[in-house]
Amino acid sequence: MKLKIKKMGDALGIFYKPRFIITLVYMLQNTEYEVGPYLKWFWRTQNFNNVMIRRKLDRTKVAKQLILGLYLGVAVQILAGLWLIYAGLWQNLAGGVYFGLALIFSYPVVWAHLVVVQLELGRILLINPKQKSLIARSEKIFKDHKGYRVAIAGSYGKTSMKELLLTVLSEGKKVAATPANKNVPVSHAEFAASLEGDEDILLIEYGEGKPGDVEKFVKNTHPTHGVITGLAPAHLDHYKTLEAAGKDIFSLARSVDAKHVFVNGESVAARPFIRKAYQTYTEQGALGWKVDDVKINIDGIRFVIKKGKKTLTLKSQLLGRHQIGPLTLAAALGHELGLSDEQIVAGINRTAPFEHRMQPYQLSGGWVIDDTYNGNIEGIRAGTKLLQELNAKRKVYVTPGLVDQGPETKDVHSKMGELIAASGADVVVLMKNSVTKYIEEGLKKSGYSGELRIETNPLEFYNNLGEFVAAGDIAMLQNDWPDNYA
Amino acid sequence: METVAVIFGGRSAEHDVSIVTALSSIIKPLELTRKYKVEAVYVAKDGAWYWDEKLKDISLFSSGHIKDFITKSHPASVEFNGGMTLVKSSGLAGRKTSRKIDVVFPAMHGTYGEDGALMGLLDMAGIPYVGCGVSAAAVAMDKLLAKQIAMANDLSITKFLAFSKSEVEREPQKAIKEVSQGLRYPLFIKPTHLGSSIGISRVQNETELRNGLEVALHYDDRIIVEEAVSNLIEVTLPVMGNDRPVPALLEKPLTKPEDFFDFETKYMGQGKGGKKTGGKRGSQGYSEVPAKLPGDLYERAEKLGLGVYAALGCSGIARVDMLIDSQSGVVYFNEVNPLPGSLYAHNWRAAGYSNVELVEKLIGYAKDRFKERQSLATTFSTNFLQQF
Repeated sequence: MKLKIKKMGDALGIFYKPRFIITLVYMLQNTEYEVGPYLKWFWRTQNFNNVMIRRKLDRTKVAKQLILGLYLGVAVQILAGLWLIYAGLWQNLAGGVYFGLALIFSYPVVWAHLVVVQLELGRILLINPKQKSLIARSEKIFKDHKGYRVAIAGSYGKTSMKELLLTVLSEGKKVAATPANKNVPVSHAEFAASLEGDEDILLIEYGEGKPGDVEKFVKNTHPTHGVITGLAPAHLDHYKTLEAAGKDIFSLARSVDAKHVFVNGESVAARPFIRKAYQTYTEQGALGWKVDDVKINIDGIRFVIKKGKKTLTLKSQLLGRHQIGPLTLAAALGHELGLSDEQIVAGINRTAPFEHRMQPYQLSGGWVIDDTYNGNIEGIRAGTKLLQELNAKRKVYVTPGLVDQGPETKDVHSKMGELIAASGADVVVLMKNSVTKYIEEGLKKSGYSGELRIETNPLEFYNNLGEFVAAGDIAMLQNDWPDNYA
Repeated sequence: METVAVIFGGRSAEHDVSIVTALSSIIKPLELTRKYKVEAVYVAKDGAWYWDEKLKDISLFSSGHIKDFITKSHPASVEFNGGMTLVKSSGLAGRKTSRKIDVVFPAMHGTYGEDGALMGLLDMAGIPYVGCGVSAAAVAMDKLLAKQIAMANDLSITKFLAFSKSEVEREPQKAIKEVSQGLRYPLFIKPTHLGSSIGISRVQNETELRNGLEVALHYDDRIIVEEAVSNLIEVTLPVMGNDRPVPALLEKPLTKPEDFFDFETKYMGQGKGGKKTGGKRGSQGYSEVPAKLPGDLYERAEKLGLGVYAALGCSGIARVDMLIDSQSGVVYFNEVNPLPGSLYAHNWRAAGYSNVELVEKLIGYAKDRFKERQSLATTFSTNFLQQF
């Protein structure tokens, strides 16, 4: 009883601590300043002490402005409350004391909502006009640029493909690419502003989120080439159907010369959108190059590509069979753009896993493959296939499931359970949440007979992963739910 | 959910080592299994038992706040009521809190913990516990008995002599003469009961022998003097299991033959050789796992280690230390440690057992052994009393 009262006290106490303001801004930041998801998260939260456990607020300019605005608003409200109490006590203002107290005590809830108004006002009055002008200026920069403008779109694998092309093509060309996963119009505009003008190739990543996004990106960036990395259920909360997402993503293909469109032929969902004139890349080859003698290991991939009399032996630190197609495309494009064989081999050799994307590291004598930035079923397919191919004394598979799967949630997670079962995992660790039951269904359907562990405290599990693995183990970690989903 | 009591600390020179073993290698992984409610039972240096959640926090000990904790807390007591129940006073109007224990995980090193004393208490309570039973623990912690048992089982040991405190005190010259005539320098003088290399000396001549005897007899009333192995390779083998023991990997401390593991280098310094290399990790970080040994020495050492484990009747877990003469290729049994520090978890991990898996297996072995013992008849009906 005493413990329960203490817990309740802690849960309520945070409302009146400065940390609450920081927590609100953190929640906004983690929902990408979208009002709907933020409010949903706010009303779902039972204890605000637990919101900011995994990460901390990134104190960006916007975050700092919101914090300042919130402090000012709260101060005004408290002062107004104090004035009402004063007026109630000394100037006989009817109900002044009660209204004053109510005003003071209600400020956390009031400003948790008024911050949205603050955000929208800032957006309408300051950010939007500034961004519009920046985007408008960038449109001309892209249009006038002399280099190839390669746009990269798809439901998954965009950042990896962009980085891979950047690494390989930079061996012989001057290449510029949108940074990290900055892939919305304003980031494109900032990228355009940073260009020197003499680049041979521009790599522009398209981060679609709702119908019409890719079409808008195309209008602004004027691509000459398009790479479509695949289609899978993602952002279905906005797109509603996979077909609608495909339609939007393939608007890129329709806007460039068909022979300059390169599509991942292994993406089953993308196949209905692929026209004959498009070029596909698969683990069998790309642009006439044939893949042979593939060796998959925890250290990376080794394979040979052949075209006519030419043979190149390639080695990459990237993990998984699914990387062969993109690597072959990068090598083939490099060849088309005039890179020497040595430059291509060196470029492919330098390709390495990106942080949290099929990134292997050793822990407690075992191997962990960190694929926690993977958030789609195709990535799960690639990861489980890799786990199946690798040799290990014991295979451990860890996941919370996927987010934003909309009406496909049940089917996608059941499929995920089937893929996990087929991976040969000896131990499956699922982070308990709303989709766990569907993954369990998929595992059951496939007759999974290994150990199943349902974790109720993901953070504790990840922090103590070293206690669960040993020499000879391979632990595959796929996806990690952001705080607003956890 | 079953309740596991982890008992650590104790009235032993290895009290502090025991705290690290319990908190780092047992309590944390046991809790992570999500299968057990883990109760931390700390035995203070004066022998009083304390039971509290706060005892799971290493900072309580490292900061020295344990003294305040002991001053403010009521010691726990144990009820043997067809099992074992921990009882403590909450301090609020004398209200008592109790918890029935299903399995005990002893994490005590040295006297009153690792030497069979605690195991005897747990046998009396009739409760499963992890690690060696009374007799194996007592024999393992008695270097003389362990050597005699190994000898009786044709397991190779170094040449040695044993003396009692009274023998040496009564006729020191006789003891020294016996040693000088029977053994060849350099020699090791060891208290028979202490672990963690406490009281051990390596001597090269009679003067050093005299001092070494004095040091060893300060810690124990019985000592052994044994010949040092030349061309020495020290190795150790953690083993777990009951009837079918499983070896971990043979481990070789990276050190020069003239050094040996004293308490300082083992726990206080940076490991064997660590002081010289300026390393940061504990002794276990300066080992070669698995040991790279020439020829078939690895297999032979592993065989000897498993042989000793079986001959001494060990169960659950233990670590067998061995000495190898690299020139003659002879492997000698040195001693057995019934509760390896931190369970030698680093070695088990290298052998493919995670920390969580290791503690789960050890709990399993404890239950299996208990079940087996339960099936044995220890009482029977007679008409003996009716005669009176």
